[in-house]
Amino acid sequence: MTRRPSTLLVVVAAVAACIAPLVLSDQTFFVHTVLAAVVVSGLSMLMGYAGQASLGQGAFVAVGALTVALGTTRWGLPPLVVLLLAPLVAGMFATVVGRPLLRLQGHYLAFGTLALLLMVQTAMSSIDALGGAYGVSGIPAFGVGGWTVTDQRPYAYLALACLAVVLWSSARIVDSRFGRAMRALSGSETAAESAGVPVGWTKVGVFALSAAFAGLAGAVTAFFTPYVSADSFPPLESFTYVIMAVVGGLGTIWGGVVGAVVVSVLLQALNTVSSQPGLPPTAAPIIQYAAYGTVLIIALLFLPRGIVPSVGSLRLRRPQGSPA
Amino acid sequence: MLTIDRVSKHFGGVYANRDVSMEVPDGELRGVIGPNGAGKSTLFNLVAGHLRPDSGSVSLDGRPLDRMPPHVRARHGVAIVFQGARLFPGMTVLENVMVGAHARTHGGLVAAVVRPPSQRRQERETRELAERCLARVGLEAAAQQPAAALPLGQQRRLQVARALAGQPRVLLLDEPASGLRAGERTDLTDLVRELNADGMTILLVEHDVGMVTSLAHRITVLDLGEVIADGTPAEVTTDPRVITAYLGAGGQHAAQHTGAQHVAHR
Ligand SMILES: Nc1ncnc2c1ncn2[C@@H]1O[C@H](COP(=O)(O)OP(=O)(O)OP(=O)(O)O)[C@@H](O)[C@H]1O
Ligand SMILES: [Mg+2]
Repeated sequence: MTRRPSTLLVVVAAVAACIAPLVLSDQTFFVHTVLAAVVVSGLSMLMGYAGQASLGQGAFVAVGALTVALGTTRWGLPPLVVLLLAPLVAGMFATVVGRPLLRLQGHYLAFGTLALLLMVQTAMSSIDALGGAYGVSGIPAFGVGGWTVTDQRPYAYLALACLAVVLWSSARIVDSRFGRAMRALSGSETAAESAGVPVGWTKVGVFALSAAFAGLAGAVTAFFTPYVSADSFPPLESFTYVIMAVVGGLGTIWGGVVGAVVVSVLLQALNTVSSQPGLPPTAAPIIQYAAYGTVLIIALLFLPRGIVPSVGSLRLRRPQGSPA
Repeated sequence: MLTIDRVSKHFGGVYANRDVSMEVPDGELRGVIGPNGAGKSTLFNLVAGHLRPDSGSVSLDGRPLDRMPPHVRARHGVAIVFQGARLFPGMTVLENVMVGAHARTHGGLVAAVVRPPSQRRQERETRELAERCLARVGLEAAAQQPAAALPLGQQRRLQVARALAGQPRVLLLDEPASGLRAGERTDLTDLVRELNADGMTILLVEHDVGMVTSLAHRITVLDLGEVIADGTPAEVTTDPRVITAYLGAGGQHAAQHTGAQHVAHR
């Protein structure tokens, strides 16, 4: 389903997102949340339309981050070039591994993508050319031409710009020949096939798209951190993307953003609570893990289709509401 | 010319199709009838490529289709309307039909984002084509509705419209009239006759034998996976083997439909 939230809501959210970096003293949480939204937007398409869950989107975030890390430090490429290159490399990597991976169905595919992430991590930590045990440091600050970023704030806007590009292209893709084929898959693969849709390649296409988004997020992370190693992409983060996608609502353009914001804010709040003085130091991880499970269960129980589609159908049920 | 050459397909111990052969010349409207479980849907799925035969071959104009997956067969002009409703429920009625044009159009992810003029033009043409197809089945008013919201009869018609959007050379209709009301049934009969008159080769499976005998140039009768008769409607409906097969498997109701009364109708 592709219901559009009201324009007013979008404008308010966009304005708030643009003001936030001015108010915040530390941009880390903001940047991470926006980049999570970038990753989850792609994952939401993959899960919602191609019906394929990936527990290893971190692998593509890693490929994007590595492209920036190696491109700038080893090959001396300009920051803007590697930023644009990262989603392409991640998308190409997904196209290559996607053909065999997507032959797996359901849970097997989920585990296959997790295995991919673990393999990428292993490669990064054991191959010196990919950073090895120490990772890649010394990534230069982002900049275009003569202008170079000197503090955190521009990264918040860079992340927002990436999110805007991702949402804009998602909207165009959903309403296109490829997009219709992709959405047809979730209805009936057999019928889509007999209409001429190459099911295998369409799934690979969506997979590559989700990887490209993840790679873009990885690229910004690499500039922001500015350090990339195998440990920068823990599997738990990839699981979080899946939770965010489910909570926000699969196969919707705004579901990824809503899911990323809601889950990030919740986890941050729990983090603050669990690090209060007086609580044992083990409280933080325990509460965090418990929170993941609780959030997912609550979401599946009360909003099985996710926040965005549920809110959308509430609006549809209004007496005068025209189908949005 | 669609040539089905001695195809066999078995599921476990059951032969769904056994040495089925058929030659359907261009422009023919071929009826395929037979009692429940005779293997009609299996045959259609073998032609459309959703099933692979154990042996035998299917070819279109002498070109074997056997190694082609369904989406490639669609590009060669084969379209199928499935027995059950197989729609894309998350999409509008119009979008469902637009997917039907996929085999005849071009453009992937990059074209979707960049939208060059050629792509915009193609989108516009696809939309117009889809609207025309919807009008042909009388669903133009429902174009913007979600497909899942349609009543059963309209879902059947939507499937027909989707197949038409592919502008196929060979159209396989598997019980297109099931779930339709009497008025809709007449409209569908007229539409099938019209499409065939425009030159489309059509294979029609229907339990309503009256509808098939009134439409088809020739009829092939299947029973227990085998062809038991093949000929003009008049020949087939008076064939003693056909009458026995229907009496054996379909009972009273089907027997009435196979009787000579329908021949008299024509
Ligand atoms: N996927 C399958 N797996 C196992 N058996 C099958 C399968 N498809 C069909 N069959 C069997 O093959 C035989 C032929 O089935 P088919 O659906 O082709 O018959 P049909 O003539 O279309 O029947 P109907 O008029 O009920 O639609 C039946 O005995 C059926 O049970
Ligand atoms: Mg059948």
